Amino acid sequence: MAPTLTSVSEIERKLASLRLDEDRAARLRTSVMTHIAWVPEEWVEAAEDVLAGLAERHPSRTIVLFPQSGKGGLEGEVSVESFGAGENRSVCTDTIRIHLHGTSAEHPGSVVEPLLITDLPVFLRWRGVPAFGDSAFEELVDVVDRLIVDSTEWPDLPRPYAELAQVFDRVAVSDIAWARTSRWRSMLASLWPAIARVERIKVTGTEAQAQLLAGWLRSRLGRAIRLEHEPSNKLAGVELDGEPAPFPPGDPPLPADLLSDELDKLSRDPVYEAAVSAAVT
Amino acid sequence: MALAEDQRLENPLLAGLPVSRRSEPCALVIFGASGDLTKRKLFPALYSLAFRQLLPEKFGIVGVARSEETDDEFRERMKAAVQEFGRDEFRKDIWEGLAEGMRYVRVEANEDAALDRVAETLTELDRSRGTAGNRVYYLAVPPDAFETIVGGVGKRRSAEGWTRLIVEKPFGHDLASALELNDLVHRYFEENEIYRIDHYLGKETVQNMLALRFANGIFEPIWNRQFIDHVQITVAESIGIEARAAYYEKAGAIRDIFQNHLLQLVALTAMEPPIDFTSDSVRNEKVKVLKSMHTPGPKNVVRGQYGRGYVEGEEVPGYREEPGVDPNSLTDTFVAAKLFVDNWRWADTPYYVRAGKRLARRETTIAIQFKRAPHPPFEELAAEGLRPNVLLINIQPDEGVSLAIGAKVPGQGLQIRTVHMDFLYGGAFRTDMPEAYERLVLDCMRGDSTLFTREDEVTEQWQLVDAIVAAWRRDRPSFPNYPAGAWGPPSSDDLLQRDGRTWRRH
Repeated sequence: MAPTLTSVSEIERKLASLRLDEDRAARLRTSVMTHIAWVPEEWVEAAEDVLAGLAERHPSRTIVLFPQSGKGGLEGEVSVESFGAGENRSVCTDTIRIHLHGTSAEHPGSVVEPLLITDLPVFLRWRGVPAFGDSAFEELVDVVDRLIVDSTEWPDLPRPYAELAQVFDRVAVSDIAWARTSRWRSMLASLWPAIARVERIKVTGTEAQAQLLAGWLRSRLGRAIRLEHEPSNKLAGVELDGEPAPFPPGDPPLPADLLSDELDKLSRDPVYEAAVSAAVT
Repeated sequence: MALAEDQRLENPLLAGLPVSRRSEPCALVIFGASGDLTKRKLFPALYSLAFRQLLPEKFGIVGVARSEETDDEFRERMKAAVQEFGRDEFRKDIWEGLAEGMRYVRVEANEDAALDRVAETLTELDRSRGTAGNRVYYLAVPPDAFETIVGGVGKRRSAEGWTRLIVEKPFGHDLASALELNDLVHRYFEENEIYRIDHYLGKETVQNMLALRFANGIFEPIWNRQFIDHVQITVAESIGIEARAAYYEKAGAIRDIFQNHLLQLVALTAMEPPIDFTSDSVRNEKVKVLKSMHTPGPKNVVRGQYGRGYVEGEEVPGYREEPGVDPNSLTDTFVAAKLFVDNWRWADTPYYVRAGKRLARRETTIAIQFKRAPHPPFEELAAEGLRPNVLLINIQPDEGVSLAIGAKVPGQGLQIRTVHMDFLYGGAFRTDMPEAYERLVLDCMRGDSTLFTREDEVTEQWQLVDAIVAAWRRDRPSFPNYPAGAWGPPSSDDLLQRDGRTWRRH
């Protein structure tokens, strides 16, 4: 068990020494981004699963922040993993896990800023409902280029969408729940022009998927559309004015693929933003 | 499920949805379906495209060859090929989706009537699979079979839909035959229906060369004679001629590699920035490079042929001992040349190029060697280990870019050494790189000819090759002149040494 690191500078020193270990000649460092994950306690297990699938695809620095109660300070752990890439070569990626206590959990901006890879995009994956307005959320939003949420994880929809819409001008936002509706949106778009006259949509799926699909149709078609929601843990069907829509072809994407795809996007998504705003109305 | 681009304008629901790289419905006819290319490259590529849902839903494949085979036997053979050579896991459901649209037609060589059977099969596919009269004909056959096929197919064009023709190399064996071939295909097809394949252009790293040059502000200002001392391009293979003696005896390294792959790499390295990435803009710039290359004099071209030697620790026979090769063969298995691109950007900057079989290792690289720092303020001894900056573009293996820079050796004093800064292409983006054929077959189905060779490119390439070969006819080389496993004959080294340069160290 590696000794726990208790300050940012210790973490930085450890990172440097790990990269210069005995087989350094064979290692290459090619970075594309820093990925920060904010993982409150109830999300720890789910977050680790997805991260495991992600590191190999996006070699970069991943900083996983675990906010915890307590009187202050941090406990860090650093690992450098390498993956084969061609003959006799491997590529390394850093994973930094930091448990933040008390004040450092309230002010994580000062912890992550020294650890970002300079000049490369920074993504923040926030598990659960973002703590809109809290110092932790506000500070992190200011240092990142893109916020990634999964509104499937959120209770009381569509209310939190109104707060999410407030941050659109500050940071580009991706929603994994939205990405999960992509196949269905392509299929629904293929029903044009008949779909233009739809008045009622019924979605069998998660609350987030139902709200986002309805918001999307409202915002794209520019008029009110009623939503009926049949709860299900996955998007299993859509009805338009009582008529079932055809099922889209292909397999639904895996969770790690969904996150990975969002990490490839850098600019704002105006269609999503309009759908979120229309979901609240 | 995503729709074509022209539909997005009126349908507001399409905004923001992924643009499909799928093509319209079509049928792909492969002439030479029992050949190696079909087995090793085409079917694995088609399966990978199906795996990524990039093939149209309404799709069919007609294999055409001389061997006696039923549809099912053809399916079985291709299934085995996909399992052996494919890069994706084999999934029964995906394969069955592909296999359902597969048909096989047996033909005799030069049998025009057989093309009626191909046409009937295609009509049947239009009916059963909805391929809508759209056709891609893939000519994976030797050039002597072209005439019957091109004529036969041309005369039987379907009334509906589009027709495209993919032609594998070699496209002719000299300028006259290439022009003849162009005439032949132009009798039945427009230039924009002809896709001459050079699979090098389908390689990710070759395309990355365009990104490197034209997406970065730092390289282009120094990409010229003022800052670049010379360029070295190597296309080295460690394998011999395998079982291709009949073809290789006639072709040699100059027609097999130099005429197409090597000159493409020169063109991509030397071309001016295109105004956009449409097929004609890119190809116009490449043709300009070829036009501005003058024929190298005999002193500036070296040819070689390998004798017995050692490759990867194994003793291997010389070229003349390979089965099917004339024991007195004068075919070149190695060619090196000093080329000049005579334009404003490159005047007097040599392009040293070499290609060969049975060389020390397999590598395709473009090395841009910059001029030395004008006045290194270090003691002579201190800068001993310092070599000029080299930007090395690795096309295969280990696709990537590496920059050699001088750095201080840690410690007392100021000792300088050359170190490498590497960018490993596969290391930044872990998504698998598609095989060249996946990209090219799909591009053709989508009607994008940017990565295919245009008529005038081929003509320019052959003009250069013909001029070189004409000089060779005047003397008899003493072959073999390099042992297998070496980096070509000593005269190849002389080519650079005369200019006070050396081939890059490996």
